[in-house]
Amino acid sequence: MFTRTDDKITATQAAVFLNNTVLGAGILTLPRGVSEAVKTPDSWLSVTLGGIIVMAVVTLMVKISQQFPGKTIFQYAGRIVGRVPGAVLCLLLVLYFLILAGFEIRSLAEVTLFFLLEGTPIWAIVLPFIWAGTYLVYGGINSIARVFQIVFPISIMILMICYALSFRLFDIDNLRPVLGNGIMPVIRGLKSTVLVYSGCEVILTLVAFMQKPGQAVKTMLIGIGIPVGLYLLTVVMVIGGLSIDSVITSTWPTIDLIRSFEISGFLFERMEFPLMVIWLMQMFCNFCSFFFQASLGLSQILKLKVHPVIYMLVPVIFISAMIPKTVNEVFSLGDFIGRMGLVLFLLLPVLLSIIWLIRTKGLKQHV
Amino acid sequence: MSYIPGWAVFGQAGIALLFPLLANILYKGLYSLVGSGRAVESPGTKNANPSKGQSASQAGVDPAPAPREFSGDYAADLSYIKSTIGRNSDLHFKEFTMTRVQRQAVLIFVDGMQDDRQLNLQILQYLMNEATAESLSAQGMSGPGLPFSQLSEASDLTLFNQSVLFGHAGLLVEGLPQGLLIEPPASTDRTLGEPVSEALLRGPRLGFSEVLSVNTSILRRQGFNDQLEMISYRAGTRIQRDIVLAYMKDIVNPELLKEVETRISKLDIDFLAESGYIEQLIEDNYLSPFQQVQNTERPDRVINALLEGRIAILLDGTPFALIVPVTFSMLLQSPEDYYERWLPSSLIRMLRFAATFMALMAPALYISFISFHPGLIPTELALSIIETRQNVPFPSVIEVLILEISIEILREAGIRLPKPVGPAMGIVGGLIIGDAAVNAGIVSPFLVIVVAVTAISSFSIPMYSAGLTLRLLRFVGMGFAAFLGMFGTILFFLLICSHLTRLKSFGVPYLTPVSPFRLSDWKDLFFRSPLSLMKRRPVMMKTQNSRRKS
Repeated sequence: MFTRTDDKITATQAAVFLNNTVLGAGILTLPRGVSEAVKTPDSWLSVTLGGIIVMAVVTLMVKISQQFPGKTIFQYAGRIVGRVPGAVLCLLLVLYFLILAGFEIRSLAEVTLFFLLEGTPIWAIVLPFIWAGTYLVYGGINSIARVFQIVFPISIMILMICYALSFRLFDIDNLRPVLGNGIMPVIRGLKSTVLVYSGCEVILTLVAFMQKPGQAVKTMLIGIGIPVGLYLLTVVMVIGGLSIDSVITSTWPTIDLIRSFEISGFLFERMEFPLMVIWLMQMFCNFCSFFFQASLGLSQILKLKVHPVIYMLVPVIFISAMIPKTVNEVFSLGDFIGRMGLVLFLLLPVLLSIIWLIRTKGLKQHV
Repeated sequence: MSYIPGWAVFGQAGIALLFPLLANILYKGLYSLVGSGRAVESPGTKNANPSKGQSASQAGVDPAPAPREFSGDYAADLSYIKSTIGRNSDLHFKEFTMTRVQRQAVLIFVDGMQDDRQLNLQILQYLMNEATAESLSAQGMSGPGLPFSQLSEASDLTLFNQSVLFGHAGLLVEGLPQGLLIEPPASTDRTLGEPVSEALLRGPRLGFSEVLSVNTSILRRQGFNDQLEMISYRAGTRIQRDIVLAYMKDIVNPELLKEVETRISKLDIDFLAESGYIEQLIEDNYLSPFQQVQNTERPDRVINALLEGRIAILLDGTPFALIVPVTFSMLLQSPEDYYERWLPSSLIRMLRFAATFMALMAPALYISFISFHPGLIPTELALSIIETRQNVPFPSVIEVLILEISIEILREAGIRLPKPVGPAMGIVGGLIIGDAAVNAGIVSPFLVIVVAVTAISSFSIPMYSAGLTLRLLRFVGMGFAAFLGMFGTILFFLLICSHLTRLKSFGVPYLTPVSPFRLSDWKDLFFRSPLSLMKRRPVMMKTQNSRRKS
């Protein structure tokens, strides 16, 4: 085949897709979110632990998806639990993706308003961003995956440079003592780390698009491993550089860290500008991913064509981005999303897997 | 979640919905409007038939009305020819009697198209005095009976007329059922010279010319090989022209070849004035600012492309050959990269990528930094720029636009300026006006640097047409930057990425090998790796034969 007509993505693309879906708003907010809950320098332990748990979740999601090759969750959920309950579950998932997409845009708009475009009306930032995303989502999963492939190396490179340069502020004492107050703070921090990994539900549809679904476990573990590693690095560098007290009081601790040092004799004295650039691009990827998942889900549940659904969802996402009134509401929305993600996780992969296991292994039914 | 946004938000949501809908309708409308000129959309048309082999006169289906057949009656055919094309004053009818067989015959030719009058005399002498009935019989014509190197039968009178007017010498003999075409046309030709649009320091100093047969022979002369295949087509509903598809038979992907053949055979236009016509009629997306077909004057470029598994399209009457498919990175490659040693070539190529970025983004970045985020650049630099801008009464967008547009005008004028005046005008336009504009306080000196670097950067792109695209997009980027600063610039970049990932050239994604990621093709992307490492042909072309060396 010279011209490919099937909508499949390679393993690399799938891994990058997952990475760019998960890596996003958390880069800027995670250190504060975790530290507020943990209140000791042990945040990095929470992030690591959360990462390990998420990896297990990812494996479970891939395993259940692999039982239905070429089918997304929106198609196979109905086959496991029956059509109506399946549709309800999937609509919940779509709602979750919509809220997430709105949340991503809103946090992007807040950061842009704060750092780049003070005094600009918020819709002037949100609207062009949604439109650009619509254009990309309209192109289907292949276009999205390809854009991710372009953005991914740029973000990783600049992020690494930023952290490498901030190493001069790094003080290991800021991370001590380890487990000074016992293990409990770490457990409490787990809840807020869930938010940053929210979005890994895209796996439930992503596996269906893979050319070789057999490699999915490895691919997805790599795909989630990169953001886990980067988030860990972020937390370590930010808390190590700023100390736990200033992290808790700062709204966007990572930017504060990058702003707090200057490199003289370089084109940009501060790395804040490149960081903002890649973060914006990363948010674009995040948003497009959720937007795509939501439109895909809705079109598959309601058996509609995907393009009208995309248009239909544009105003929905816009409203969902405008619902929080203040930055603080945005953050509480974030917490809400974290809890919702947890519920969804219990409902979707876990419940589905259990029912599927019972039906196939226990009742010997053919699902 | 208790907060319900006000009506304003819902209104904005409506706008959010309307804009992409309208954009889509506009796009689709434009697409079908532009596309209505293309035969791809209208499958009923069939104006060009493939004709295997170079002998062009056998080819072709004529435009309506239906071709007139030879009646077989000498007098009737001759009077028909005279009545249709006889009014042309440069057309000569030389009637004579073949003495040996006692038949009437007429030789019809156009002034100045036959290379040698001596030859004409010889032909005439032969026909009048020596030709026998036997040599004019059916076997004799195909066999060695007639002493002409090129001889063919015209299938009908219309084709006969067209061929005669194109420069063939036509022969009509009493008693023969069909007219004969002897002696191909030999029109005047310019001497081969160095390609003007793609000059190189190192490399062959040979460019294509306007004559198709010369161009194909240049390609053949690149080396001994029996796999280079050239297939000729004819297209044009009013004036037909020859098109040649060239490819390596054992390398090219057959599906790609079929796709190109289909698109070529569906060309529907009355006259192909230049290969740009073909380019615009066969490209995948004609609303994209990016070209999806490469054009070149250089035979070495064409032959290398053929070896990569790509296909060249040559048109009679233009020195520009087309190469399909093309990807973005190929537009930034120059043949010189391969002629010079790999280390400097790689560096120069990366420089070119940087220049492309600058040519696209520099003014947009200037606007967003100066107007929106002076805090993001080093303080001293920001201070000195702002100091120089104190006398400038315009916002930075207007300032940039003034200078950019003047540069573009200068560039456009520079092409048309007579050669002796050109450099002088360049100096006057560039240096004096630039300096005066700074002194007059219309623009800041820093901006002059930015714009000059941008202009120079866009010239460092080896393909002129790719430079045009960037020139166009630069202004779009400036618009984005003017409205939303850095945010807009990033959005612009993402939009271009989104567009490029959706774009395809004959089925090959435009951004290969960056995405879809093909690691083995990276050896010829930002780097030009040593020749000894380039063992395989590009994967993206899905060639039949992948090894370049044993």
